[in-house]
Amino acid sequence: MSVAQAEAREIQLEAPSGLWREAWRRLRRNPGAIVGFVLVVLFVIVAVFAPLIATHGPREQNLALLQGSCCPGPSASHLFGVDALGRDVFSRVVYGARFSLLIGVVAVTVGLSVGLLIGSVAGYLGGWIDSILMRLMDIMLSIPGLLLAIGIVAALGPGLTQIMIAVGATQVPIFARLLRGSILATREADYVLAARAVGVKKRSILVSHILPNSLSPVIVQGTLALATAIIDVAGLGFLGLGPQDPSTPEWGTMLTDTTRYLQTAPHLALIPGAAIVVSVLGFNLIGDGLREALDPRFRGRG
Amino acid sequence: MLQFVVRRLLLLVPILLGLSILVFVWIRALPGGPAQALLGERATDESRAAIERQYGLDKPVHIQYWSYLRTTAQGDLGTSVTTRRPVTEELKQRFPATIELTLAALLFALVLGIPLGFVAAKRYGTAVDHGSLIVSLLGVSIPVFFLAILLKYVFAVKLGLLPTVGRISARIDLNHPTNFYLLDALLAGDFNAFWDSFKHLLLPAVALGSIPLAIIARITRAAVLDVQNEDYVRTARAKGLPPRVVDERHIFRNALLPIVTIIGLQAGLLLSGAVLTETVFAFPGMGTWLVEAIKNRNYPVLQGGILFVSLVFVLVNLLVDVLYAVINPRIRVS
Repeated sequence: MSVAQAEAREIQLEAPSGLWREAWRRLRRNPGAIVGFVLVVLFVIVAVFAPLIATHGPREQNLALLQGSCCPGPSASHLFGVDALGRDVFSRVVYGARFSLLIGVVAVTVGLSVGLLIGSVAGYLGGWIDSILMRLMDIMLSIPGLLLAIGIVAALGPGLTQIMIAVGATQVPIFARLLRGSILATREADYVLAARAVGVKKRSILVSHILPNSLSPVIVQGTLALATAIIDVAGLGFLGLGPQDPSTPEWGTMLTDTTRYLQTAPHLALIPGAAIVVSVLGFNLIGDGLREALDPRFRGRG
Repeated sequence: MLQFVVRRLLLLVPILLGLSILVFVWIRALPGGPAQALLGERATDESRAAIERQYGLDKPVHIQYWSYLRTTAQGDLGTSVTTRRPVTEELKQRFPATIELTLAALLFALVLGIPLGFVAAKRYGTAVDHGSLIVSLLGVSIPVFFLAILLKYVFAVKLGLLPTVGRISARIDLNHPTNFYLLDALLAGDFNAFWDSFKHLLLPAVALGSIPLAIIARITRAAVLDVQNEDYVRTARAKGLPPRVVDERHIFRNALLPIVTIIGLQAGLLLSGAVLTETVFAFPGMGTWLVEAIKNRNYPVLQGGILFVSLVFVLVNLLVDVLYAVINPRIRVS
């Protein structure tokens, strides 16, 4: 082996594997993240294949089952029992996964895209635009999250789409602030200065140099935001502000009024609630794992 | 220090103005506009025109905003559509209930959360540490209303140890000068009433406090782990200070900074969570009041309630900032 070959080999050995590849390696070694990944995959499979998994239709009623008392618990034909209107709880929870997934993704997409737009404009342009946009975000943050969402639902009227927008809106200032801070930090980096020096246009500096390097905290926050969105939407549903058609199998809405049946039929509350906890736990575990994998302060350990 | 407080107070002015504009615009964005909101379902064109004249809604927007700002600043939040009582009067009954609940929840979270986090950090990597991590992970994954339902099911319905709904038993006769029931009972020297309202408060407070508890424990653990490896801690140990003194003076006092910050952030979570917890326990606070208002399209109550809670939230954050400056001298200078 010549000296040149040996050196080349050494360089290859030491070559940094890149942020993403290393993050992936670290993520795979994190047992929490693996559990989270399994839970989320399970959740998505249930949501996608709901019609195949469910044993009954989510809106199918069988009032004959309620003759004894409200409400029959788990049995062979109804795995998780039957609700106060004679509907199969198992099938409703399975279909509910669809709504929760849809709600979480739509709400976060709304919050993320508007927040990113505001945050990147404010962070990159600076000056009075930055001041105005950020004061606006401060004002939105001065209303406790759920109350802001309630106010928006009051203006838009109750409903599934409306609560998704409301929950998304509460996340806008969080993403805007996060991205702005992250951009301010990268804006002064040498590679940005270099790009400016060779005359790259402002917009393409933002899009191809600053944004990709500011994104990792946003990815972490986005995953955790999915968890919060599912909880918040369920909360609004629980308050009765969700889908106005009460037969919609949304988990939060399913929990409304179950406190009345706690004595005789606790499964009505326990099962949709457990479904929320499991899916939220999955996203939280992945989010925590991603944070550890992407945060430079953790890099190089383990 | 005084200068710092004054500067922070001045920063509040634009936030509060912005908030008032937001609520003002929101009222005008409601379906049918503010007149419809005041009249409810029974509005006719004539009555709407009359209301618009009475409240000056036919005037230019900037004049409307000015008069809205003036009446609000004077403490006039309008009249509840359902009860026909002034919103401020109802607020005086509802608000103490929620504050009593939130304070009790916060106390529960702090008294258990900080020691739990401290012990977890001290026993880093042991079963105690792992256990506390799992508990705090579950804590941030469980919706507060579901936790409330679970607690209600176990302690009130199954075991029958605690009451299921309300703030106080109907048979207890108590004057309410402050509307903080625990305080009212103490003022009256009525032990029975105190015990009864304490039992009513216990489950909602534990439900509402559990999630902040998980978060506070987690932050305390991380903060103590961070501080533990600082040079000044090593120096303190090296010069032979007793471990308890190092824990108290060097570790705990410095770990307090992130803990105070997180308590400030919990305020919003507590106020939001209170809305849901109150609904589960039919606790007559701001939450049940606002949820009722939204169902009855009782917009004056919604407007007043949201404005007031936000004001409290902003003030709490100010308080946290000041507290932060008291603990951390470095902040005061910058």
